[in-house]
Amino acid sequence: MTVSRDQRAIQVPASVDHLSEVRSFVRDCVAHFGGSQRVADDLVQAVDEATCNVMLHGYKGKPGDIDIEAALRDRKIEIRILDRSPTFDPTTAPAREPGSTPAPTRPGGMGLGIELLRSLTDEVHHSARPDGGNELTLVRAIDGPAQED
Amino acid sequence: MAMTIDVERLGGSPPVAVVALAGELDASNYEQVIDVVRGAYDEGARGLVIDLEQLTFMASSGLFALHSAVRIMRGETPPDPEEGWSALHQMAQDEDSRATSVRLAAAQEPIARVLDRTGMLRLFALDGSRADAIAALQGA
Repeated sequence: MTVSRDQRAIQVPASVDHLSEVRSFVRDCVAHFGGSQRVADDLVQAVDEATCNVMLHGYKGKPGDIDIEAALRDRKIEIRILDRSPTFDPTTAPAREPGSTPAPTRPGGMGLGIELLRSLTDEVHHSARPDGGNELTLVRAIDGPAQED
Repeated sequence: MAMTIDVERLGGSPPVAVVALAGELDASNYEQVIDVVRGAYDEGARGLVIDLEQLTFMASSGLFALHSAVRIMRGETPPDPEEGWSALHQMAQDEDSRATSVRLAAAQEPIARVLDRTGMLRLFALDGSRADAIAALQGA
């Protein structure tokens, strides 16, 4: 049933100076897969957020690489963000009470974190890589918004 | 894509600075925005328009820069990035903290969407044009 039609990948150093490369990559992939401008905008925002968090809070300024892979499967765009920084699962960040002030999602967390990722995508999955590091997968249907607006 | 910042200082009452951002605002350059706003405040600006017409992308670090701009224009110390998001949520949920001396102008749709999603539109007025924003600040 699952048909892997196409896959693309990029590797960037863990420095915020490379975020624009990451965004260009995501935008190109979504266009190549035939996704709408809206899907591209949302995935660019989500991947920038997730990748930036890995750079700032995963590697914490230490040298390292981040691999980003994009694939189209069953009309869904899957983007995987792979790193070698200490294991951290953003999807387990505690839900906050409505109206309460959220703590940063992790030490030094400037990012919007999991709430924004969830609002921009249909699915967010995390797994620890067996040989160290994290794999964060963002999934978004190629045609249609992630959710109501 | 890099970001460029253009600053225009206007007379009138209160003195207004217009900071126009073009390109992509992200974690690599948000501090430039904070520095420019601080400079404008130090030179006497008491109203600030952030013109977003040419901005094509804004990361959450950009939202942090906007929040810092509000604090600077109030004569306060901008928040520590280590606590930024928490402080920003606090502000967005507090109606009394709605910015009166900082207005956003002419945001493109993706930017307006991220401002809305993150609750920032409760904090900032978003005007259709730079001229509207200036007029709102100076009561013209």
